[in-house]
Amino acid sequence: MAIAGLAAVPQQSHRPHGWRRWLFATNHKDIGSLYLWFAFCMFLVGGVLALCIRAELFRPGLQFFQPELFNQLTTLHGLIMVFGAIMPAFTGLANWMLPLMIGAPDMAFARMNNWSFWLLPPAMALLLLSFVVPGGAAAAGWTLYAPLSVQLGMGMDLTIFAIHILGVSSIMGAINIVVTIINLRAPGMGMMKMPMFAWASLITAYLIIAVMPVLAGAVTMVLTDRHFGTHFFNAAGGGDPILYQHVFWFFGHPEVYIMALPAFGIVSQVIPTFARKPLFGYTSMVYATSSIGVLSFMVWAHHMFVTGMPATAQLFFMYATMLIAVPTGVKVFNWIATMWEGSMSFETPMLFAIGFILLFTIGGLSGVTLSVAAVDVQLHGSYYVVAHFHYVLVAGALFSLFSAVYYWFPKMTGKMYSERLGRLHFWWSLLWFNVTFFPMHFLGLAGMPRRIPDYALQFTQFNQIASVGAFMFGLGQLIFLVNILYSLRHGKTAAQQPWEGGNTLEWRLPTPAPYHSFSEAPQLDVAENGVVVAMQGGKHG
Amino acid sequence: MASGMQAANLTLLRRLLLLVLLMFGFAWGLVPLYRVICEVTGLNRVVVADAMPGRDAAQIAARPVLLQLDAMVQPGLPWQVRPLQSRLQVKTGQFIQLQYELRNNSRQQVVGQAIPRYLPAEAAAYVKKLECFCFRQQLFQPGETRRFPVVLVIDRALPAAIDSITLSYSVFDVPQGEGRP
Repeated sequence: MAIAGLAAVPQQSHRPHGWRRWLFATNHKDIGSLYLWFAFCMFLVGGVLALCIRAELFRPGLQFFQPELFNQLTTLHGLIMVFGAIMPAFTGLANWMLPLMIGAPDMAFARMNNWSFWLLPPAMALLLLSFVVPGGAAAAGWTLYAPLSVQLGMGMDLTIFAIHILGVSSIMGAINIVVTIINLRAPGMGMMKMPMFAWASLITAYLIIAVMPVLAGAVTMVLTDRHFGTHFFNAAGGGDPILYQHVFWFFGHPEVYIMALPAFGIVSQVIPTFARKPLFGYTSMVYATSSIGVLSFMVWAHHMFVTGMPATAQLFFMYATMLIAVPTGVKVFNWIATMWEGSMSFETPMLFAIGFILLFTIGGLSGVTLSVAAVDVQLHGSYYVVAHFHYVLVAGALFSLFSAVYYWFPKMTGKMYSERLGRLHFWWSLLWFNVTFFPMHFLGLAGMPRRIPDYALQFTQFNQIASVGAFMFGLGQLIFLVNILYSLRHGKTAAQQPWEGGNTLEWRLPTPAPYHSFSEAPQLDVAENGVVVAMQGGKHG
Repeated sequence: MASGMQAANLTLLRRLLLLVLLMFGFAWGLVPLYRVICEVTGLNRVVVADAMPGRDAAQIAARPVLLQLDAMVQPGLPWQVRPLQSRLQVKTGQFIQLQYELRNNSRQQVVGQAIPRYLPAEAAAYVKKLECFCFRQQLFQPGETRRFPVVLVIDRALPAAIDSITLSYSVFDVPQGEGRP
């Protein structure tokens, strides 16, 4: 049976070399590394697009790009960062760390895992290729709103196919994560004991399985509207463009949490380690994460307050959205309570985690502001929204990813990263991130709209500050690359336990983690948040 | 891996794939669901039969209102639509007659449906149209131009905050052989 082939686990001793090791990769660590490197490359590509945008916006008037190309840049920046950088990076981390943290030999479906990664490069190639087809890339914004997406050139078709492929890839990745966590935990690793990172990945994976098919449906409708004579979104044919927004945001809002929940998971591992205290309120963390997952399905129309919804619907979505601030507040409270009276040390992962809490909370607060329907009418489609979601996605998702890479780098590679470069990277990113995105709040409040290549003169100064910040922030990410490349070669050999406070299962493994770990499951005695009290057995092949 | 574990994995895999299929179907199910919700709540009902101005409204004094006229056509459609006057100084409670000219620029017979819009949107409830080309679909021969009268009354109960109303028509194409005659 074809489906059974997916589950076949390769010979334990088998370790291919050269390009075969990567193209035919079935080892979760290899696939995790592929994901992470791919995500970093896409982060650089999306970053270059962002810098193009900021270069154009440095001065009013048109300098470098015509409006058509500018719209393509904003659209592709969004799509690449969401689907090419952040989501694959989280999937990569889950691939790398989950089996180590819950005592599984590998991911449940090793060959499917290979497919979920190798679908990504062709999808991203399609997206980037669309820049050179007649009419250029998709230019409807990352949300691909109809009727614009129905009218654009063939770049839009390439984008639709790319999204289909990305959807299949992330669904397969998510299924793998769910099955691994549900079925492959080592004896003793109970559900209400496992690390928060595993919980966050599990709920994220369920969200992906539930909403990526909805996005696939939405873009398929756009495709049939474009080529097969349907009128789902074409008002002239009896369709309704507002319908697209409903279908899209039914996907889009849970997608926001797909990019945020794993970050919560990472921070919930890092903070206890460097505060040398167990995570405060583990059970409430689990329930908070789950309720954020459930609530995320009920708030989609807060993206659509200006579409002419009845006041009752606006009120419902407004209060439902504000409700999400409660479980999120529980999390922030718990992280701070974990640090309270802890004996903290501030290595790079901890710095990024604290930076995350600070800036993510600012992004969350501007989110609560936007959730007020009456205020949103003024701020909708303005730079305030841009500031808001960059605070939660850059300072949220991205900072947590940096934190995770620094945190687990010794376990993955057996080398220590350079602490000096790491701290420089953090302070540099923190400073220039705020220089870039904080002025955008003011721009939005003053009325500057999103997605425009030119603006009124009174917005010039804040835009110049933001552009300088963006280029410096971008430059700072090269510090990270240099640190990783240098440390891979010349880094100091890492101890099995590089962090004094690290007490989850992955720190019980030798460093670097053996190619095949836990080929025989260990017998565990585990406390909350995956803290290993005692371990017996557990072989690495 | 034990074969019992493999079987458990495959069972879970099948269930999750089923969930994927269900959610894909759900996306398509949103289309009829959306239509039903719009019908039940009346959200998308753009053409509503107007009642004559209420009796108690007659006791409110008439006052001047600036009526601005506009028209727009979806890109790619063959219509040319323009009002014969672009602005009128009118009074509430007064019968107002104005004219629109519609032209079919294509070489085909086309059927069009005009949809009125009002700015500010809350004025919509107070503009009572007695005669309008938007009440029915209009058949146009190739290159044909026709003028249509529009007769309306602005209700005297119009909120005092509104002293100017813009009436704008969008004309859509109706594919031949579809819709009501």
